Amino acid sequence: MLSEERRIESAALSGRAAGRLANPDVRDEFGLETMDMSMGPQHPAMHGLLRLILELDGETVVRCDPVMGYLHRSKEKISENRMYPAVIPITDRIDYMNNIAMEYGYVLAVEKLLDAEIPPRADAVRALMNEFGRIMSHIPSIGFLMLELGAFTPILYAFRERERIQNFFEAVTGARMMFHYIRIGGVKADLPEGMPEQMWEYIEGLEQRLQPDFVDLIEWNEIFISRTRGIGKITPEKAVEMGLTGVPLRCTGVPFDVRKHYPYGWYKNLDFDVITDEAGDVEASYRVRIGEVKQSIRMIKQILEDLPEGEVMADLGRRIRPDEGDGIGRVESARGEFAVHVVSDGSDTPYRVHYRTPCTVNMQLLQEIVPGHYLPDIMPIMGLIDPVSGAWDK
Amino acid sequence: MGTVLQYLDQEPFRFLLSFGAILFLVLNLAAVLTMAERKTSAYIQLRYGPNRVGPRGLLQPAADVFKLFSKENLSPNSADRWIFLAAPIALFIPAAVVWLTVPFAPGAVVADLNIAVVFFIAVTSIGALGVIMAGYGSRSNFSLLGALRGAAQMISYEVPMLLSLLGVIMLAGSLSLVDIVNAQAGGFWRWYFLPQFPMFIAFYVAGLAEARRVPFDLPEGESEIVGGFMVEYSGMTWALIQAAEFASMALISAITATLFFGGWQPPIDALDL
Repeated sequence: MLSEERRIESAALSGRAAGRLANPDVRDEFGLETMDMSMGPQHPAMHGLLRLILELDGETVVRCDPVMGYLHRSKEKISENRMYPAVIPITDRIDYMNNIAMEYGYVLAVEKLLDAEIPPRADAVRALMNEFGRIMSHIPSIGFLMLELGAFTPILYAFRERERIQNFFEAVTGARMMFHYIRIGGVKADLPEGMPEQMWEYIEGLEQRLQPDFVDLIEWNEIFISRTRGIGKITPEKAVEMGLTGVPLRCTGVPFDVRKHYPYGWYKNLDFDVITDEAGDVEASYRVRIGEVKQSIRMIKQILEDLPEGEVMADLGRRIRPDEGDGIGRVESARGEFAVHVVSDGSDTPYRVHYRTPCTVNMQLLQEIVPGHYLPDIMPIMGLIDPVSGAWDK
Repeated sequence: MGTVLQYLDQEPFRFLLSFGAILFLVLNLAAVLTMAERKTSAYIQLRYGPNRVGPRGLLQPAADVFKLFSKENLSPNSADRWIFLAAPIALFIPAAVVWLTVPFAPGAVVADLNIAVVFFIAVTSIGALGVIMAGYGSRSNFSLLGALRGAAQMISYEVPMLLSLLGVIMLAGSLSLVDIVNAQAGGFWRWYFLPQFPMFIAFYVAGLAEARRVPFDLPEGESEIVGGFMVEYSGMTWALIQAAEFASMALISAITATLFFGGWQPPIDALDL
């Protein structure tokens, strides 16, 4: 098994030549060899900057090696050289489709270091914005999946929803993408006046639009079914073994959700279901995403109905200087479990920050399940994993 | 002037002029169709579509053609240069030449061949050659995959297309398109799409596959092989491939109308002008 890993690693590093040497026996009965192909990093369907080294037999993929690192911006190293509050904008840039969960993970880790007490309203607002962030990420994910299957319309419908949620974020946080909203000890600012009512109105509308604009358009489409059903099939054992989290894990039927099993913040008070599906293929991942959007709507309604009053920021002093030790923050981002490990040496800056991003781990799927599929099936499988470039290259 | 005009109805001047006029018509039709497609899909997709060039964006196709003319014609270093440059021509000529046999009105046909249906089948199948040339000549893996897909698709849809025409040929008793149209005279109940309805559907679907349009756009493979056999083309060579695609699209529609919808015949005789 180790030699197999080595093989893949060396093939990924030295590309063509190593791939040839590694598979000297891939010839069919006519003596025809396989074809090597490099897909990406500049490729419209590669979710950013991913390069796949493929070995093709006709259109069947024999070997698939993902090569990461084209968007490496050394976020972990930069985080070590900044004061604790100044790391939050760095975390924004990890998963740029769902930044609010990235901030949340880092802030949770630092608060654990500090043993800080957070005002309840801050917790509720964090959970509220986090669920909006999940909707904002899941709906375009469905759109991208459809776009890669050749349907152009769903992505524009998805971006209409994302745009409206971004307007809320702009009103609440002051930014449309890089929010820097969740701070150590609370949140940057309280919700503006009238915002909960507007959010309620929008959420009610989204609940009604979800069925005609997405489910009815997509779910019964013959092309969608034939290109996703049975494609990228993962067994639950395999998924657990590979350490998958998020939608790729839950679509195989394993009901793991950090919000449910290791509840943090306001999630202790919320009533929601963990959506799972048995099939473990691309179609199942689509169903899980739609189900999670519905659960997010349910959670947002609960939070808005029962929004506690009070401060949104704890008084932690001007300077954040935790004692020696370490803290771990685990959150459920839209792509899976995002964990941050912060080690403090007692100074102003963290000694070490480690980001465990779901995309890096879930990416292993490509090596495992792509071989045996056709070349066009890579696109729905990418839609199943739904990685984000900034998150796999930390 | 008079001396020029007296040559106009003599061969080969008549032939060249009328063929040029038809090509002019077809390529302009392509511009109108692109515009219609872009606007319609834009309104479905909550967008406006092109609305900057000219009144309500109507001059957008003209601006696009101008842009394509002014773009540099790149070819990859390792490309097989002659094949690479010949491929767009090999794609365009078959799509254009079949227009010779399409009858527009009584007497308005460039060449009334007595084997026009066979000519149509034979010449459109040359298009697969152009696809292969483009894919092979680019020397790119993506192009090669696209070309193989295109060739497989076009050759396999050739057979149902040919077979679906046999019923029409038997009913009309002729291979000439003009004769086929004349045989459908006398009202829409005599058009061949009624007795030949399954054949009409088969022909139309095969025609869509021939023209590589949307449900059959595997050779283009927008999401995985990003344009397929035409991924390396730019400027006018790319425009020529696009023109060939639009010409064959319009051609399939014209041939369908001729064979199954009575050509120039009015639906009811009373409507005849």
